[in-house]
Amino acid sequence: MNVPHAAPGDLEFTRVFDAPRELVFACMIQPEHLTHFWGPHGTSAPVDRIHVDPRPGGRFETVMVNDADGSEYPTRATYVEVVEPERLVWEEAHTAMTVTATFIDLDGARTEVRIHQTNVPEAMRSSEAQAGFLTSLDRFAAYLDQLHDGSTP
Amino acid sequence: MTEERLDAAFTALADPTRRAIIARLAQGDATVNELAAPFEMSLPGISKHLKVLERCGLISRSRQAQFRPCHLESAELDAAIEWIEEHRRVWAERFDRLDEHLRNIQESPVEKEDT
Repeated sequence: MNVPHAAPGDLEFTRVFDAPRELVFACMIQPEHLTHFWGPHGTSAPVDRIHVDPRPGGRFETVMVNDADGSEYPTRATYVEVVEPERLVWEEAHTAMTVTATFIDLDGARTEVRIHQTNVPEAMRSSEAQAGFLTSLDRFAAYLDQLHDGSTP
Repeated sequence: MTEERLDAAFTALADPTRRAIIARLAQGDATVNELAAPFEMSLPGISKHLKVLERCGLISRSRQAQFRPCHLESAELDAAIEWIEEHRRVWAERFDRLDEHLRNIQESPVEKEDT
């Protein structure tokens, strides 16, 4: 697994988009864009309920609505860092989860987006836990999947 | 799985020896001696790790059998792994939709306004 920039304890997601960096960055901070993709499969994120104030201390609030039963998952976060069009950092209020999105310019008007997510349960903030449990556990999960599939590495 | 229980499971899994023990048990039940074999560690040392895993419910040990083989409680482990995969899944799906959105707005902005 290629995770050169993942600090211990981070969960990392990387995706390359076929679009220029300014546009991809705009998509992450403008409600009229966010509404098209922020809700994962089976949910929607109504545009009138997305509030974005992209500056340090500004709010980043969304509501994901379950398409099937209408149940709502509001998320309240605060921006910690906004460096257009390179970097966004926000912290979620109720989970204390910090998300860092890094936008990297690639050849041919493509953009790599890296998401670093730290969501460390209280009990994990010990010295033992600093050894990189989530990154390790992430790999461990993949390893166990292989065991379940019967293809022991 | 409760939050407290999840915390305990992650604490237990933060240790590489305990992860190795779990990986071994994923292939089948094993006694303490069998589990100790690949490690340069005393039986009491291994037993200590087993107690941590047992306390958080990731493994169980037979009360009847003579050598008290250890058994992986897959449901507990799955719950811990599910927590991680849930976050991964949200971002994967979100990025799938962003990819589609970027295609739409770049391909035909004019046509999109018309329809």
